[in-house]
Amino acid sequence: MMLTTIRTLLALGLTGSIAFAQPESVLFTAAAFTKAQKNSSIPTDAGIFIHLPDKGWTPYGPKIQQVASASVDPSDSSRIFLACGNGIVRSTDGGQSWRMVTDWRVSDVTAIVIDPTDGKNVYAASGWGLVRSLDGGDSWESINTGIDERFSKTITLDPRNPSRLLVGTGGGLFESTNRGNKWRRIKAVPAGHVLRLRHGNAKSGVWLAVTEGHGAWLSTNSGKTWQPTAPSAGDANLYACAVDPQNAQNLAVGGWAVGVLTSTDGGKTWQQRSEGLPSPNVLTLAYDPNNPGKLWAASFEEGTVWSQDAGATWQDGGLDGALTNDLGFLTLADNTR
Amino acid sequence: MVTGVGSVHGSTPPAAPLSDGEIGFAFQARRAALIEQYLTRTDPTNMERGGLHDVALNFAQGTHLEWARSRLRALTAKPTGAMFWMFPMVLTMHAGEPHLNDDDWAVIREAWRTYFPYRGDTENHWLMYYASIYLAAEIWPDLPGSEWYNGKSSAENRAEAKEYLLESIRITTAYGRGEYDSPNYIDPYVSALTLLVGWCRDPELQHKAQMMLEFELLDFAVENIGGIYGGAHSRIYPKHAIQPSLAASTALAWLLWGQGEMQLNGSALIVALSGYTPPPLLQHIATDRSKPYVHRELRRTRWRMRHAGPDAVEIAGLKTKAVYKYSYVTADYLLGSSQGGLLQPIQQQTWSHVWHEDKPLGLSNTFFALHPYFSALEGTMYFGADWDTVVDLIARSKVDYNSPDKLMSGSPHEQVFQHESTLIGLYDIPAGTDFPHINTFFSRDLTHRTEDDSGWIFAQGGESYIAYRPFVAGEWRPTDWTGLLAGGAGAWISSGHTEWGTGHQVYVSESPQNGYIVQIATADDFDSFEAFVNAVKALPFEFSLSPVATASFTTLDGTKLRATYGETPTVNGRRVDYDAWPLFDGPFAQATPGRNEVTLRHGDTQRRLNFRDGSINTTINSDDE
Repeated sequence: MMLTTIRTLLALGLTGSIAFAQPESVLFTAAAFTKAQKNSSIPTDAGIFIHLPDKGWTPYGPKIQQVASASVDPSDSSRIFLACGNGIVRSTDGGQSWRMVTDWRVSDVTAIVIDPTDGKNVYAASGWGLVRSLDGGDSWESINTGIDERFSKTITLDPRNPSRLLVGTGGGLFESTNRGNKWRRIKAVPAGHVLRLRHGNAKSGVWLAVTEGHGAWLSTNSGKTWQPTAPSAGDANLYACAVDPQNAQNLAVGGWAVGVLTSTDGGKTWQQRSEGLPSPNVLTLAYDPNNPGKLWAASFEEGTVWSQDAGATWQDGGLDGALTNDLGFLTLADNTR
Repeated sequence: MVTGVGSVHGSTPPAAPLSDGEIGFAFQARRAALIEQYLTRTDPTNMERGGLHDVALNFAQGTHLEWARSRLRALTAKPTGAMFWMFPMVLTMHAGEPHLNDDDWAVIREAWRTYFPYRGDTENHWLMYYASIYLAAEIWPDLPGSEWYNGKSSAENRAEAKEYLLESIRITTAYGRGEYDSPNYIDPYVSALTLLVGWCRDPELQHKAQMMLEFELLDFAVENIGGIYGGAHSRIYPKHAIQPSLAASTALAWLLWGQGEMQLNGSALIVALSGYTPPPLLQHIATDRSKPYVHRELRRTRWRMRHAGPDAVEIAGLKTKAVYKYSYVTADYLLGSSQGGLLQPIQQQTWSHVWHEDKPLGLSNTFFALHPYFSALEGTMYFGADWDTVVDLIARSKVDYNSPDKLMSGSPHEQVFQHESTLIGLYDIPAGTDFPHINTFFSRDLTHRTEDDSGWIFAQGGESYIAYRPFVAGEWRPTDWTGLLAGGAGAWISSGHTEWGTGHQVYVSESPQNGYIVQIATADDFDSFEAFVNAVKALPFEFSLSPVATASFTTLDGTKLRATYGETPTVNGRRVDYDAWPLFDGPFAQATPGRNEVTLRHGDTQRRLNFRDGSINTTINSDDE
């Protein structure tokens, strides 16, 4: 049924506003195709791409040069936000139409999170700091009190307490317990650049943070305390981490020249899983919420791979030539009814 | 080349000053000549060739309309280039309006509805983007958001664009431009502002844009030597570093002030089509080199995303660092510099010497040195890319970025100090730095190049004598031994490489601690080149390399200079006061940081642009003379 709907839409040329029979978690990436870029500062293609079972990677949404991530409102899957170089682009009709909801003050947006209990509360990280909307994205304000090095590529929200946010910045890991009004640094994690934050399901309390040269860090109490983990990653720049939403014992980190490391015991032990990767330079990782244990990885310009056995073997996932800024799953809505 | 319309050439002061009327008449003649010449490059039989500037011009003139319509559709079917598509499209819509038919408008309208251009990552991008969307939204003043690529209505797009444009004017006139004094990137600034001057219907924005255009042109005029943008630059390409007359600024100098020779350039075309007439005062400032002068400017770096450093300052919530510019301008040359360090990503020219040529096209009338530096630190300071990918990605378009042979670069291991016609460069390059050497460019157009046993290297460029004393002896290499320049940065940058890129030499001096003295002089001040050589060799000069490079040098006029790497230099024992550096300071322009006000002066004329209230006051005071 779902595939039939997709095929119909594809036949109609509506790939920019693909819809599903039921809200469905779909693998997506925010990517720029830089490998073929010669004598030019412009990638040969860029934007959001979703992975469809019968079509592989397919462009989704407006064609925009710099897109870093995408997020869907957990309580309303017709509301989709794109983190773009231009700012934040929003759809409120499941991708049928789009609007840039920020102005010239907001640019180089890297990540967006939405309050699962109240979709009016939307938070975004950017190259210039953090912004917040309390009206669903209609208006935005800067929220950087307590943060000096504002460059940020990652922000996440505590699913147990949506007023609590964690953000990785150029100056370390920061926490806010009041929706971003004020921030304090979590000193257990070094003051270097925190590049990616991910957490498991709300019940697990498992969070991962990876850094630029300061290792990977694990929390088992929703980010309240942190311990170093994956020691074999050494001082590499770690760009990627993932926690299996179905089983928080499954963890993965990845980075430059270190490939992928996985753990199946909640971080007690780690295995180097780079054999079979097209490149040791890994930028993004994601576990499939529909398929426990299935791990996707994307390397710099060498495409995606996936593994069903914690990285022991890898299968080609396509997207050769892409630089992936983000890799994850979007719950996209049926908007055709 | 067109003759008979550029009567004011170079630095030679006219026998009698031109009247304002004569200046205006000559400008209009050049304007007409440029349009006429630009039209000749349209080949109406070739539907595959011709950009939007040419399309706009032909629609404006009502010429080759079949060709223009075909090219309009080709260039609008799948737009690329973001703001570089937007602004000539807006030019087409406004200048070409009399000859655009309903079908043309439908094609254009659909492009603005569907093509989602990137806003860019630097000031020239943002200015072009917002000037263009503003003007487009004035043409269709009442459309809903569904009719625009970004989902915002015409009114919303105008309001946002106007707010950005006025804020950018406020920042620039208070703290200087981040992308300062670029000989080629003056093109988008002049283009965007001139579009607003020519066609904006909002009186406030149109007026402020006109004032801002005057500010930009003044910025060029005071560091103009024979139509060439001299001194230190935020951004420059190899082609323009080696042959400065190929930059957009020189094309503008011909159109605006009659300097040099006509060149076809997009921003000059927009000026010509817009109806803008520059104030005659600017031509006097650009061309009067009857007395040598020092001109100083406070500028700033681009906004720093990361690694801003302890000396960064914050303006409007964004981090930047001060750039202290210094230029010494005579009738024969312009020696100009900044203080060194990482002031701009990728394309910084920390200092340069340019000598006057009446017809500089085809000549490499410049001399400069640099430490070829690249790093992820510099890349991530200004761009959002990751540490491990940023250098690679930069080099996709700036192919010489991580080359040891490159000819423009900022370096955190460089400190430069200038006093009038003397410049001292000092270097402290840590172990492990990729390229621990200095490249000093020696043009093929220098004469009398002499390596003296004393360690000085002497040469003559035009009517300027050059003395260069490297602290550590180096070796000569050709500029084009890697072939990098021939392939780099897109065709428009590398085209004609064999004409401009070959035959020069680079003096390569390698040492962790290093430095040099540059002493320039006007040929007329000496009986002969030999006399200059002897005079320089007799000057008191000491240097040492340990623990850091330090030098003491007494200039040709007896001024004692002392500089030590990492310390504030001194002039006759007095420390240079960087804290008091003015936004503009010289005989032709004065401005105080933070005031949003600049005063232009020439002779008995004073013109004050007050960006706070939008007032312009021009006074003539005969008592000043």
